[in-house]
Amino acid sequence: MSMKMLTILQIAGILALYLGVSVALPGIVLHRIFRGTRLSARLMAYFMCGNFYMINLVFLLQLLHISYGPTLILGTLVPLGAAAVCRFRENFSVSIERGTRRLRLILEGETGIRTQLYRSGKRLSSGLLGERMSSRWPDVILTLGVLALVCYLYGTNVINVYGYCASDIVVHHYWINEMGNNNLFAAGIYPFGFHNVIYYLHAVAGIPTYVLLRVFCLVQTIMIHMMLLFFLRAVCQSRYAPYAGTFLYLAGGFFSSGTYARYGSSLPQEFGMLFLFPSAYFAISFFQERNPDCRTEEKGKKRFFRFGRNLTMFAISVSMTLAVHFYDAIVAAVFCAGIAVGFCFRCFRWRYLRRIMLAGMAGVLLAVLPMAAAYMMGTPLQGSLYWGMSVMSTEEGEDEETEEAGQTAESMSEDLLEKAGSSLEHRLQATVDKIKIYVAGNNAETGWFLLGSTGAVLLLGIVWYIGRRTEYGGILVSVGTFLVLMILMQSYADWGIPQLIEISRCSIYVAYGFALAWGLSLDGIVFLLFRERKAIHLGSLAALAGVCAAVAVTGMKTPLKLGAQETNDAIICMSNILRENQDGETWTICSANDERQMMRDYGNHYELIDFLRGMEELESDTVLTVPTKTVYFFVEKVPIFAEEKDLGRRISREGAGRALPDGREISSIYAEDARWVVMSRMYFWAQAFRRLYPNEMEVYYESEDFVCYRVRQNEYSLYNFAIDYGYNGTG
Amino acid sequence: MITGTCIGGSGEDKMISRRNFFSIVTLMAVLFFLCMGTNNLKDWWNDYTVNTYTETAENYPSRIHLYIPGNDTSEEAAQDGTDHDGGGNLYASRDMVVLIGDGEGIYGRAVREWVMYSRRKMTEYATLSAYAGAKEDAGWPEMLIIDSKCVDWGEPGETDFLAACVEQGTHLVFSSLPDVSVIEDNDRVRNLLGIRKVKARETAAAGLHLYEGFLLGGESIYLPEEGEKEAGKEGEIVFPGETNGAGAPVFPWYLLSSGTKVYMKGIPGDPTVDTEDYPALIWRKSFGTAYVFAVNGGYMEGIEAIGLLSAMSAEMYSYEIYPVINAQNMVLAGYPGLADENREGMERFYGWSLNDVFQEVLWPNISTVLNRYEYKATCMLTPQFDYTDAAFPDPEQLAYFLKIFREASAEVGLSGLCVSDTPVGQKLEEDGRFVMDAVGGYEFASFYAGNLSGDEIETALQSDVLSSVVTVVRNYGEGDTQIIQLLSEHVTGQMAFDIGFEYNYKGDFLVKCLETALGYLNVSFDMERVAYPDGKEDAWENISPHFGTTVAAIGETFREFDRTTVSECDMRIHQFFAMDYRDNRKGDRIRIQISEGAGSGWFILRTHNETIGELEGGSWRRLEKDAYLIEAQGGEVIITMEPADARFYK
Repeated sequence: MSMKMLTILQIAGILALYLGVSVALPGIVLHRIFRGTRLSARLMAYFMCGNFYMINLVFLLQLLHISYGPTLILGTLVPLGAAAVCRFRENFSVSIERGTRRLRLILEGETGIRTQLYRSGKRLSSGLLGERMSSRWPDVILTLGVLALVCYLYGTNVINVYGYCASDIVVHHYWINEMGNNNLFAAGIYPFGFHNVIYYLHAVAGIPTYVLLRVFCLVQTIMIHMMLLFFLRAVCQSRYAPYAGTFLYLAGGFFSSGTYARYGSSLPQEFGMLFLFPSAYFAISFFQERNPDCRTEEKGKKRFFRFGRNLTMFAISVSMTLAVHFYDAIVAAVFCAGIAVGFCFRCFRWRYLRRIMLAGMAGVLLAVLPMAAAYMMGTPLQGSLYWGMSVMSTEEGEDEETEEAGQTAESMSEDLLEKAGSSLEHRLQATVDKIKIYVAGNNAETGWFLLGSTGAVLLLGIVWYIGRRTEYGGILVSVGTFLVLMILMQSYADWGIPQLIEISRCSIYVAYGFALAWGLSLDGIVFLLFRERKAIHLGSLAALAGVCAAVAVTGMKTPLKLGAQETNDAIICMSNILRENQDGETWTICSANDERQMMRDYGNHYELIDFLRGMEELESDTVLTVPTKTVYFFVEKVPIFAEEKDLGRRISREGAGRALPDGREISSIYAEDARWVVMSRMYFWAQAFRRLYPNEMEVYYESEDFVCYRVRQNEYSLYNFAIDYGYNGTG
Repeated sequence: MITGTCIGGSGEDKMISRRNFFSIVTLMAVLFFLCMGTNNLKDWWNDYTVNTYTETAENYPSRIHLYIPGNDTSEEAAQDGTDHDGGGNLYASRDMVVLIGDGEGIYGRAVREWVMYSRRKMTEYATLSAYAGAKEDAGWPEMLIIDSKCVDWGEPGETDFLAACVEQGTHLVFSSLPDVSVIEDNDRVRNLLGIRKVKARETAAAGLHLYEGFLLGGESIYLPEEGEKEAGKEGEIVFPGETNGAGAPVFPWYLLSSGTKVYMKGIPGDPTVDTEDYPALIWRKSFGTAYVFAVNGGYMEGIEAIGLLSAMSAEMYSYEIYPVINAQNMVLAGYPGLADENREGMERFYGWSLNDVFQEVLWPNISTVLNRYEYKATCMLTPQFDYTDAAFPDPEQLAYFLKIFREASAEVGLSGLCVSDTPVGQKLEEDGRFVMDAVGGYEFASFYAGNLSGDEIETALQSDVLSSVVTVVRNYGEGDTQIIQLLSEHVTGQMAFDIGFEYNYKGDFLVKCLETALGYLNVSFDMERVAYPDGKEDAWENISPHFGTTVAAIGETFREFDRTTVSECDMRIHQFFAMDYRDNRKGDRIRIQISEGAGSGWFILRTHNETIGELEGGSWRRLEKDAYLIEAQGGEVIITMEPADARFYK
């Protein structure tokens, strides 16, 4: 089987599992509660509840130190059981009788199996796929189109590049692995929502964590676009404008690569984006309620804290953003501020304000509670939180990849500010420059287009205020305000506001927000032009066609292409090794890559640098053994992490002749020249060892750029790997 | 309503019709025939006086091409690149083995046997210096098998010569190691042997650990359990390389350097010692160009050497193919006895007569155990154990046993042993007379000679009763090295190992060595112990568990080798001796060319992480990981090898 096919099957399996747990199961349990709401809103609600339950179930079991596959499965089934009990408590026998009616008819010989199958098929075709679905087919087709496009643009990289595409995934992998030992917050307190979900999928389905971290990025990217689509579908008046906005964001080739490059990696921040728009939607829905406490008043039980369905979901969504990544929580708060502006006519009424404030606080409390519990038990804060705080307080902390772009923008802004003081005009110019550099692919026209769409949505909002469709206008103004605030955050220095989000990361949210602006702008215009529902839909369809044409003319986004932290060959070897070693025999991988965390639950790992250092000073009594039945050695013939000038440089005797790198930092031992030296040394060690053990050491896998050796040994009499390979102690 | 004429009875309801009566009678007749007739027919068709195993002689190779080391006529042909000799036969151009040591000692003779079995050439030198002096322009041999006593370790030139041999790709096999003081003082010797450090000049091991992948039969841990020691059975525990009653094996304790691979280690009595530091007993040191094998102890001072050399040879190359016999025999020596003798003893230990014990107790037990592991019995009958007493053999007993042995596909041979001092010639004369009288004569194909001398065997083979004998089974004795031999053009000699009732560690090691070298095993069970027990411990009830244990241990471990009788084995020995072969490998294809006249033959193929994908010209079985038994059915076998495990994800 090819690795590509394996990856496709893994993606399909993980997507099905994740959707099953996060959408289907909550749907079964909660469908009565959300009956009557729009399908898109219902799906968002199910998704929020599913993730919320999953994350908090893991938190609970981890804090109790009883988090294992069986307990997680049991915990997952509890709501199902509870729902079943509630549903069938009083009429269990009737339900059973009704449920088995057709079976009884067959058993009693009243009808045949074929007749029943025919009837079922007819019911399905005329009911579920017929009358009930007839109005939804365009949505289904367009949604599938969006899905296919996401898979094409972001899945291509996943299918072709098997290693982790971000350096920090391996750290997250370590934390997730530690959860297997019920060691939550292994490196300190950190928002663990993403880790909980990955751990849950690993523990419940037995999918190796490295596979999840490899391919889950595509699953979450699909869901990021689905949440955008659901949000637009839930707030727009027209049917096709949401697809236009989503399509433009997805396929438009005008964005800076930094706004979507991280979609190629399974990272918490991007996972947290799933909960941004749902939280905004439920806040908007709450403000759309004319009388938020009417129900309680009707029953004569007016309660201060009573939450309706929307507020509950808002609290859950807020807690999710905070539980996954603080940046997401900040952006969610900014969106809430935008909603407060858009719905100012209701927000500042006490009955709304108190509830929304309490719901927000409840959400924060829900998210903070597990972390606070761990903190009280003595777990310190994780280091990156200090980094985050330092980013907020200083201007340092940009990613290396965006540093150059940042410097260009900074210098341009500073020049302008120096020349013209700090007038509004020049601040605006500096802001435009930031948008141009970070979001608009260094294209001024695109930058103006983006800003213009923000203005358009604000303008349309005001128009609809004037047109006395205040709630709809409120949505437009909320989104517009949110975008304005995000744009200001993008160029925080020009406006003298503190940096809340690292600037390159902020651009991801800004670009994501523009999709709302486009969708709502088109929707607002169409809604303005046409009053008839059919005409609105046709108008929006025309808008969608126009957007597609515009994207085709201006150029579509090319599929994401990222470099990995590890070669494809290494992952192929890993997959084979895991498959072949399921009989309980012990094995070790000796490598310089991320395998240490990838295979931790299954085998052992030995660092190449330690291996080579172990025989650097070769004495007669030097002994270097690896106490497992099988030992694999991963050697890159063309080392990765090379400097640009050395790209494609092969291992050589020259490299082996250099001194072995010092230190413990990965950057000093496994990067650039150091990696070249280590790999060169390792290759010549392998050649020398193979001369001594020609029958025992075999080439397990080899390509142009990579070779994996396998040594099988007797566990009672281990080989001494410390040999004179000609370069011990040289350099 | 009943119709027809009724028979008997007074009333209609008590009568039986003729039709029913006829049906009942027919049914009874059929049942009677099924119960009695089949047995009678079986008896009638059981041509028990004909020995089916004498027929195998007709299938012998038409010409005997006995491979004789040093008599390879194809050497010149091989050198000039041709494959055939003048007679059109194929001969392998085997590599040269040089023996440094006493060629007439047990170890030297064992090496010579192995060289013959593996179709190599051999020269002998008394000392290393003699070889170094004589070598001159001759090429470098495949391997030097060295008795370290024949090397002057104080002479640096000899160590240099050994190093030069290794440098030139000649493998060294040290059948014994130099004195520990030499190793301690001489780092060049230590380096040559792969010894890092002498931990102790002498240590007594509690047991031995033979690792898998070296000898066929897998891993063995020879470590007496606590219960065995407490039961005072320490004297009965015999380790490989030791003699009876020697106790725990004692040897120097060496720690090895890098580049070594260990095949057997001692297990110290001290449980705190790390497994890594256990004393090494058999290992190899790799120099990249050649291997140096070292044996720390007397494991090669016996017939076991042939197995160890085969195993070492398999380790030297990426694959190794060599001819084997593929025969597993179970010989019941002195079974059955046909005379009602030793009444007093039999009464005391069994309460039954000898005939009853052999017929009613032993055979059901023996046949069940052997059948379970699909072994065929070779029963070496002895009409009488004692030719001086008044008890004479019972002809009916002979007929009975011949019948049941025929039904069980067991072979009946004649034993030459007796408890009285009757000369073998006289005994066989009386036996012949008895057999003639009892069943009108019987063509015995096999003769059990036990520990008879060569002259006695020669005398025995001249007797009329053994005129049809094709194979003679002798018992293995200390110092014997010829496992199989040609006693005459048509009579083979086979060595049987009397370990049936005493399957100890040494026996297990021996079995593994024999199976590795030849795929051959001939286990004899001395049934005279049952007929004339010296004490309670010889009674069948006490030795039958040992019988079961031995058969089970061997049967479980070596399932894939053919189960034969000694006469069937005789034919395979002829084929083995007649066969010569050569092999070569190109890519993943191994081609074996077999000499004409050999008919079919068996080989063992040993690989490293490779398996047989396809085989043309024969069939194959997997013996264990990286070991295969190949049956060649024609003049050429082509084996296509493939990796033992291919990558699933690509």
